[in-house]
Amino acid sequence: MTGLIREIRFLASDRAALLWLGIALLVACMSVFLGLREIAAQRAELNELIEIDRTEREVVDALYQDWGEVAYYTFHLTWDSPSDFAFAALGQRDTSPWKHHIRALALEGQIYETDAENPDFALIGRFDFAFAANLLAPLLLILLLHDLRSAERTAGRYEWLSATAASRGSPWFARAVLRVGALALCLIVPLWAGGLPGGAGASTLVAASLVVVLHIAFWWGVCALVDRFGWSSPVNLTALVGAWLALAVIVPAAIRISVEAAVPLPDGGDILLTQREAVNDAWDLPKSATMDPFVERHPEWADYTEISQSFEWKWYYAFQQVGDQTVEPLSRAYREGRIGRDRLAGRLAWLSPPALAERALQAIAGTNMAASLAYEQRVRDYHAALRTYYYPRLFRDEAVSDASIGQRPEFHAMGD
Amino acid sequence: MNRIFAIAREESRLWLRSRLAQCTLLIFALLLAAVSISTSLRMSEEHRERSEQQALAEETFLSQPDRHPHRMVHYGHYVFRPPPPLAMIDPGVDAVTGQSIFLEGHRQNTAMFADARASADLGGFEGLTAALVYQLFVPLLLIAIGHGVFIREREENTLAPLLAQGVTGIQLYAGKWMALAGVALALLLPLAMVSAAAIVRGETLLASLGVIGLYAIYLFVWCGLILLVSARVRSRALSLGVLALFWLASALIVPRMAVESASATMPAPGKLETDLRMQAELREVGDGHYAGAPQFLQLQANLLALYDVERVEDLPVNFRGVVAEAAEADLTEVMNRFAEERMDLEARQARFAESFGWLSPVVAVSAGSRALSGTDLATHHRFLREAEDVRFDFIQGLNRVHVEQLDYIDDMNRSVDAESERRTRMSAENWNVLDGFSFQPAAADERLARAGAPLAMLFAWFLLVTAGGIHAARRMQP
Repeated sequence: MTGLIREIRFLASDRAALLWLGIALLVACMSVFLGLREIAAQRAELNELIEIDRTEREVVDALYQDWGEVAYYTFHLTWDSPSDFAFAALGQRDTSPWKHHIRALALEGQIYETDAENPDFALIGRFDFAFAANLLAPLLLILLLHDLRSAERTAGRYEWLSATAASRGSPWFARAVLRVGALALCLIVPLWAGGLPGGAGASTLVAASLVVVLHIAFWWGVCALVDRFGWSSPVNLTALVGAWLALAVIVPAAIRISVEAAVPLPDGGDILLTQREAVNDAWDLPKSATMDPFVERHPEWADYTEISQSFEWKWYYAFQQVGDQTVEPLSRAYREGRIGRDRLAGRLAWLSPPALAERALQAIAGTNMAASLAYEQRVRDYHAALRTYYYPRLFRDEAVSDASIGQRPEFHAMGD
Repeated sequence: MNRIFAIAREESRLWLRSRLAQCTLLIFALLLAAVSISTSLRMSEEHRERSEQQALAEETFLSQPDRHPHRMVHYGHYVFRPPPPLAMIDPGVDAVTGQSIFLEGHRQNTAMFADARASADLGGFEGLTAALVYQLFVPLLLIAIGHGVFIREREENTLAPLLAQGVTGIQLYAGKWMALAGVALALLLPLAMVSAAAIVRGETLLASLGVIGLYAIYLFVWCGLILLVSARVRSRALSLGVLALFWLASALIVPRMAVESASATMPAPGKLETDLRMQAELREVGDGHYAGAPQFLQLQANLLALYDVERVEDLPVNFRGVVAEAAEADLTEVMNRFAEERMDLEARQARFAESFGWLSPVVAVSAGSRALSGTDLATHHRFLREAEDVRFDFIQGLNRVHVEQLDYIDDMNRSVDAESERRTRMSAENWNVLDGFSFQPAAADERLARAGAPLAMLFAWFLLVTAGGIHAARRMQP
């Protein structure tokens, strides 16, 4: 116990160590604050959008008397609300879409629209907790630990300290534990302080803290390993920063290149091109070329496929659907390719602890690729529900009524 | 002068003898070579692919069969942005913006399918480019080998004899500077080679030299800073600590703080929100598909008066086409106004973030590098504007065909009468209203002008650290 108090006193008098710990605390606090602000801004924007979307739809509902026109002019907002822990790892919300405005036309032409922020920002990246904990914290730990023994050696106290210690290595161990523990606290305390009032559950925070602690423990191991060689402080530091560079930068870059080579993805542009050709060609083709594949998918409308005029709304929506059907193989390949890339990257991320920790935090925050794909699926499901709602009204040529419009499905974000 | 060279030579010889310096230099040389080659290959592949896609898109549009011109308005067209030659060094915003836009009537679409959305997410640095290695990691190497240049002389007790021999502090500084700057210049070799390759691919000499010069000044800023700290501080540990702190702040923390501050001081509404707010204004313009809509009554009256006829059917032009043309023009004006507002806000955000270059040379060099390479936000905006020009031109060209060549009566009856419908199909020769599109980066002097502010920041940094270093060296005592 007296040993611990002595070490705390020692740490308190080590100005360099206090500086690094102070930076860790500052960076963690800032990242939590900025993350919370970003999520609050996203929530506010969503609330505003939901409100505008509702009033806009009320205006449109009153304008049209034909189901074809109603379906053509009515847009529906879909969105993915951020989780209560999303502030800590903004992840895919930076580059992937989390809100759409869709209508009952061909979905493939709409679902890849991205409402992205300033590209300069996406390029540099956001200052979230995951960045502080996964990229900055290892560097700060390296700066804290690299001269633990070597500084004493330089100062000529090493032999004396080792000889007077109860067991060999114990003063160094206590000193290291104290620094590692202090750094972990500098990160985790702001996380809890920001997360708990923000509504993130304790179990979520425990899981995230565990990720942070394990990641820091890994880097402690690396520092301890380098320490064994007995090099001087500058050599230690160079080697450790080199290790950081390798594990946090070069390995992830290499993983990305190999993942992209191993899992090819159909060109996104081809999906749009194919879809456009299919939808536009339908105008010049005999009506049966549209209605036959449509009925294959929707046999319940087989008796209503008689198209007598050169333009009828039900035929128009049928070829929108057939357009989606035509690109289905490509669209599925694009989706599966992204899942495949994400899975492979997840396995290879074991080669890079910072990448692994980032992915773990994103998974906890619900901001990873899987969450983004799940949102895309919810949009697809909702679009399918819209079609199911409009088809009977279009094919049976029903009259537009407020009561009927009232039955239209509404989009519900998960957890709402 | 000879003394300065002798000092520089001696310093370099020491580095070449040190195993640590050898190892780090070798590793960095390999890293730079590998990243430069892979970035170059990827970008030239992209260039080839997108140029081909552009040619194919134009061919497809022109080979469409005879049909109603408004069908072609909805059929639409694609434009692609091939990366400029210097993207081989700095691909810039290319990966996050998407490179193709679908152009159609009545709408302005965004660029879709950005690489970043389909790539593996591995923590932030996975999209490593040659530019990023130079901006973020080469300074680490310079710190590793240069942090002790003056301190070593003290440790080995060679500083006092040197000064006693009449070597001035400034000569010492100049010699050390030359040695360290020599390493920096040697590390610029891969960059210079890629820049030369860019000239072969059509880049101007001015822009290529600009990029090399920009990175040279940037690395000199780090050399000066390292010498300054090494001259002021008495222990290697402290020197490394100070330099590590500076690197941490300027390479990792300040750039992201710049982003956060810019988005906090100038919040930009998302495109979806802007689009929704635009809806009401667009409804006022009216739907150009419905010539009978109340918004076009005035237009109808004007036309009837102009041609002195009673009925729309008697007009020498197709009234539906006239409405489509007028509505597209009004609509585009509204859309352009919103788009310009948005681009203006984004540009102001970018400038605000760029001003953090006064705090961090990394922010300055990355902004300058994107501007010179033609891969910055301004270039993306230019692409959006040029794409919009192409869109408006061919849509209005098609509407012109609708106005002048298509009979109004046939147009009215085409949904119910097959013969009328056949006559509304215009000859495919009309599709050549579409102009070829080939996106070029801005002229080299324009890009150089855009890089002016970041260059000025780097120059100020350079002067500051060099003056500080010389001052410290003059007062140097053993």
